[in-house]
Amino acid sequence: MANHSQFGFQDASSPIMEELVEFHDHALMVALAICSLVLYLLTHMLTEKLSSSTVDAQEIELIWTILPAIVLILLALPSLQILYMMDEVNEPDLTMKAIGHQWYWSYEYTDFKELTFDSYMVPTTDLPRGHFRLLEVDHRVVVPMESPIRVIVTADDVLHSWAVPSLGVKTDAIPGRLNQTSFVATRPGVFYGQCSEICGANHSYMPIVVESVPLTNFENWSSLSSS
Amino acid sequence: MAGEGDSEPRKSFKLLGFLDVKNVPCARESVLYGSLGSLVMGLGHFLATSRVKRSCDVAVGGFICTMLGYWFYCRYNLAQQRIRQRMLKEGMRNRILFEGSYLDPEKKQTGNERSDS
Repeated sequence: MANHSQFGFQDASSPIMEELVEFHDHALMVALAICSLVLYLLTHMLTEKLSSSTVDAQEIELIWTILPAIVLILLALPSLQILYMMDEVNEPDLTMKAIGHQWYWSYEYTDFKELTFDSYMVPTTDLPRGHFRLLEVDHRVVVPMESPIRVIVTADDVLHSWAVPSLGVKTDAIPGRLNQTSFVATRPGVFYGQCSEICGANHSYMPIVVESVPLTNFENWSSLSSS
Repeated sequence: MAGEGDSEPRKSFKLLGFLDVKNVPCARESVLYGSLGSLVMGLGHFLATSRVKRSCDVAVGGFICTMLGYWFYCRYNLAQQRIRQRMLKEGMRNRILFEGSYLDPEKKQTGNERSDS
C-alpha cells in the first residue's frame, strides 16, 4: 500500500508493473534532458541583447523539427512495447470474475468449484489495531503466486474500476460489458487497491485487496471457502 | 528482532524536483558521467577555440548527449541482467520440480549418451 505523502509508485509486484516503473524512469530521464536544455536556452536568451538580425533560420528550423521527432521515437518505442505486452494473455492458470456494485466488489471463482463471495470494506469502527483504515476488506481476493491470473471485470449497476497499483492493473467495470485483464503476482503478499471510477457516495469506500499465496495455501483456502 | 539488519530506505534526492537520482538505477551514474562529459567537451572546445559562448553551448550539448548515451547503455545492460535473472529463477525452479523425474533434462541427456555409446 502507499505510505502517507508517498509521491512515487508502489513497489512492483508483477512483471508488467516492473516494466512500467522502468519506462517511467526512462521518461523522466528524457524529461530531465529536455528541461536542462530549456533552462540553458532560457538563461542564454535572458543574457543576450535583443536583436532582430535573423533573416534566415533554416538550420534552427531543421534542428527543432528533427530533435522533437527523435524524442518522440525514444518515448514511443518502449511505450508501445509495454502496451502490447499488457495485452498478452498467456494461458492463465486461473480465471476469476470481479463484479462492481454500489458499493462493494463481488468475486467469482468458477474454474473448478463454485466459489463466490462479496468483499466489503471493514468500517473504521470495526478495524482491528494495526490494520489499514479504508483499505481492509472482510473477504480478500486470494490468488496463487507466480501463476498467470485472468480477471474478467464487469459491473452490476454503474461504472466502477478494478485497480491494484502494485500489480499494474486498472480495468474499468462497465455494466453489460466484460473487460479482461491479467497479471502474475511474482511474490507472496497483500496488495491493496481502490475503486478508480466515480460511482456514487461511497466510491472511496470500496477497496480491493489481493492476497497472493503459495499454491498449496490457495488450494486449502479454496477448498475451505467452497465447503 | 523485526527490522534488525534491514537497510533503511534511502532518502530520495530529486534533480530538478522530479528525478530521484538516488533510487532510480543508472540515474546517478548518468548525471555524473554527463557532468564529466560536459566539462571535458566544454573545456576542450574553449581551449581549442577560445570562444566562451560557443563552448558553453558545446558543454550543454555534451552533458545531454553523454547523459543520455550512458543512460541507454546502462539500462540496456540492466534489462539483459533482469532477463538473465528471470531465466535463472525459472531454471532453478524447474530443476527443483523435475529433479529425478522423467522430465529431468539431465536424465534425458545421460540416456541419450548411453544409447549413442
